[in-house]
Amino acid sequence: MTLRKRTERPGADLLQGTLDMLVLQTLQIAPAHGYTIARLIGQRSDAFLQVEQGSLYPALNRLEDRGWVDSYWATSENNRRARYYTLTPKGRRQLLQEREQWRQLVHAIGRVMRPVEE
Amino acid sequence: MRRFFRRGRLDAERAREMQAHIDHHVDDLIAAGHSRERAVKEARRRFGNPAAIREEIYDMNSLPVLEPLVRDLRYAFRMLRKTPGFTAIALVTLAVGIGVNSAVFTVVNALLLKPLPFPEPARLATVSSLTRTPKGGGENTSVDGKTFFAIRDSATTVDVAVYSGGMGGGVNLVANGAAANVEQRRVSAGYFGVLGVRPFIGREFNAGEDRKGGSPAAVLSYGLWTRVFGGDRNIAGQAIRLRGEPYTVVGVMPRGFTTGGRTDVWTPLQPSTTGEGGGSNYGMIARLRPDVTWDRANAEINQLGSPAILLDYEHSDFKDKISVTCSLVPLQQGETADIRQPLLMLWGAVGLVLVIACVNIAGLLLARSGSRTREIAIRMALGSGRAKVIRQLLIESAVLALGGAALGLVVGWGVLRALIQLSADVFPLGYPVQLDATVLAITLLVALVTSVFFGLVPALHASRVDVQAALAESRTRAVAGGRGRRARSMLVVGEVAMGVVLLVAAGLLVRTFVHLRSLSPGFDPSSVTTATISLQDKRYEDPVKVNRLFADTLAGIRRQPGVEAAGVTLGLPYTRLLNLGFGRVEGATDKDKGGMTNLSYVTPGYVEALRLPIRAGRAFTDSDQADSVPVAIVNEEFVRRYYKGQDVVGLHIRVAGGARQIVGVVANARATSSGLGGDGSPLITPYVVYVPATQTSGGLLKLVHTWFSPSWVVRSTGPIAGLPEGVRQSVAAVDPLLPIAKMESMADVQAASLAQQRFMMSVVVGLGAVALLLAAIGIHGLIASSVSDRRRELGIRLALGATGGQVLRNVVLPGVVLAGVGVAIGSAAALASARLLRSFLWGVEPADPVTFLVVIATLFAVALLASVIPALRVLNLDPALTLRAE
Repeated sequence: MTLRKRTERPGADLLQGTLDMLVLQTLQIAPAHGYTIARLIGQRSDAFLQVEQGSLYPALNRLEDRGWVDSYWATSENNRRARYYTLTPKGRRQLLQEREQWRQLVHAIGRVMRPVEE
Repeated sequence: MRRFFRRGRLDAERAREMQAHIDHHVDDLIAAGHSRERAVKEARRRFGNPAAIREEIYDMNSLPVLEPLVRDLRYAFRMLRKTPGFTAIALVTLAVGIGVNSAVFTVVNALLLKPLPFPEPARLATVSSLTRTPKGGGENTSVDGKTFFAIRDSATTVDVAVYSGGMGGGVNLVANGAAANVEQRRVSAGYFGVLGVRPFIGREFNAGEDRKGGSPAAVLSYGLWTRVFGGDRNIAGQAIRLRGEPYTVVGVMPRGFTTGGRTDVWTPLQPSTTGEGGGSNYGMIARLRPDVTWDRANAEINQLGSPAILLDYEHSDFKDKISVTCSLVPLQQGETADIRQPLLMLWGAVGLVLVIACVNIAGLLLARSGSRTREIAIRMALGSGRAKVIRQLLIESAVLALGGAALGLVVGWGVLRALIQLSADVFPLGYPVQLDATVLAITLLVALVTSVFFGLVPALHASRVDVQAALAESRTRAVAGGRGRRARSMLVVGEVAMGVVLLVAAGLLVRTFVHLRSLSPGFDPSSVTTATISLQDKRYEDPVKVNRLFADTLAGIRRQPGVEAAGVTLGLPYTRLLNLGFGRVEGATDKDKGGMTNLSYVTPGYVEALRLPIRAGRAFTDSDQADSVPVAIVNEEFVRRYYKGQDVVGLHIRVAGGARQIVGVVANARATSSGLGGDGSPLITPYVVYVPATQTSGGLLKLVHTWFSPSWVVRSTGPIAGLPEGVRQSVAAVDPLLPIAKMESMADVQAASLAQQRFMMSVVVGLGAVALLLAAIGIHGLIASSVSDRRRELGIRLALGATGGQVLRNVVLPGVVLAGVGVAIGSAAALASARLLRSFLWGVEPADPVTFLVVIATLFAVALLASVIPALRVLNLDPALTLRAE
């Protein structure tokens, strides 16, 4: 599994590959380093999703390998050297595609899961 | 893929990145009010294990198959480097085995197995006839004119052609105002057609040119065409002078065309049923016509050829009891009949060396796996899978085999060069011989299979070890033993036995060569220079002209500084001589009218130039002229054979044109076999009649000069640098258009007569030495590992009071015993197989006790040495230290 859900919270197991999509979505806002990416995903999910570092860095390696993100070293807001990731045009197209697929998936699952009329 | 190569740097970057992640987290936690110490701790806890994450990423960037392979290779190299002795020995063994085998097999392959360089070579044949008479019989691979015509004119299944079966045909060519001695071959019309190769300029001979009195035509080789005629494309029709006669060039053969050996120019054979064609002097080639089977062609050849051969026995008393069978022999088999046996013998010897090399590798790997049981057990205890262990051991074997093969390539190249040089006088390596890729692949495969097999068997065995037992046992193992050792002992015995067989063969060939070399020449061969000139020349058919040439050139040569004596002879010592019949004058009876003899004409000065001792009477002088009393000189062997040693000076014999008075008896000069005298030995003591060149008829001169080229023999006071040039100039001063075909020292002529024996001996001795070395390596390895395995036991013995000598004996003995068993088996095998060598042995019996004793003693000495050297380590054992180490 790519994401660890907070054990005390109820929630569904997330489908594989979702983390890649979340990272790409996060990077659409602005280039960010690993810690920021993890923190943003936590914040935007109201702390529902907490990214495990053991998954995040392999995922970043994978995204870069596929040419969806680029990385560079820069000074962070805390005045530290950090490795920033930024979306490539190819990654931007991938994000659009994944977002569409996600919308269809949510819609389809929503259809299936709507309350049964008795 | 890109990341695979950069992942070392990427990993360092990743580590820094993760540290930055933790630092940012710490910053946040401190901002939230935690103490620095707690913040760091918490951030680390939340992050998890950075090393594990990096490892995961590292693996993501790896290639699935290559990765473990590279790791295993690295490990294999490390292991091989750690045992340099083992690695070096294994590599040398493999290199020698692979190299020598490929080189010799390449030669065998090129000569015996590789298809001849003609289209559809498998449909080419030569004709052989087998004659059986009540008095015996024999096989004849040559045909006479009438047999050839009988087959050529009626055959429907084959196309045939003949070529002159004569010896080297060096003739004089004059073209564009320059003279050269060129190799000529006479072939019938259709010869090139039968081989399936067309001239690339012009045409081959037609029937009109190929009959008696036909217009003289010549076909040039590509080499001669470029060398002498500058590659002139309009060569067809140009006039040249061959043997002093005008010829017209009609064609040029394509580059690379050869029938084995060198030929510069082909001329029409003009076959007939008289003269040369009256006897079996033609070699015949045949090509099966399309869709004809060998059976059908064979039947027709027999039907046409046999009656023609039977005509020879028309007047025989037992005419009805004679049977003749004519048959086709595949051309390659027919052409290589003479060299097949020595080559196959060499091949066998080389195969033996390869087997020994493999046995050695097997022994080495077995020994190694024994000492590695513990290492394997540790690896398996640490969680390495069985498959991984086996893969590792296999890769190690393969690395070894490939390394050995690479070295073998170098060795093979060197050996092949040496073989070609050594065999230049022995085998007609007319086709260029290159280290054969197929041969190399086969040998490599053998080495690979051997090392992988013997690497794998112990690997399988070792990987099944009870890990606990192996770990516990190997530390406390006290006494050597076990299956591995027995297997290795057997390998050593086999190795020694095969070594004995090879060394006995080598020893017998050396004894043969020494025997032949030690045969006294009968004259003094030192400081004698010879020059051979072809007189198969239109300008030298008149005996007066020939003798004027001899006299004038000899006069010029005798004026050269340092020349003591000079003369001309038809046949040099250590070559084969002309055979001719002679008749007795005195004492002739109906039963004994004379017989066959070797014959040579000589000029005055010849006997003096060779320092051939005169036993009775005199040598020829300038007063023996065409118009003086006909005389002859005979040698001692002739007197012994035909006159039972009586005084023959003054008697008469009828030879070479009439009755001659015997005026002298000279000592015997050695010659090579001409079919007369000797028992098939390469060097014989011929019975010879010498006649003066001045008293030889023009007809006889013309006849013998088509077969033999006379040689000028010059004795000097010592080695004189300018002498060959002086001889050349003396000849050129008399006839500038008469090229010298060959100039060599008498010692070279002598050496050339034993070229095949020297070749066989050198190769087999070399192989024997390799076998001996390998056997020594095998024994050494066995004893060395026994010493290291038995350290504890030997330590105890020493501690209990055994002397160093006793312990040493105890360790060395097995090596000597194994050698003894190997020698016993090998001697029996050698005794049986030496009989196969019989046709190569002269002056020595196949069961020669001296050879066997020397070989056995040598092997024991080497075995003792190979056992003692590693055993000496025992003496350095400190019992206390050995025991405590356990």
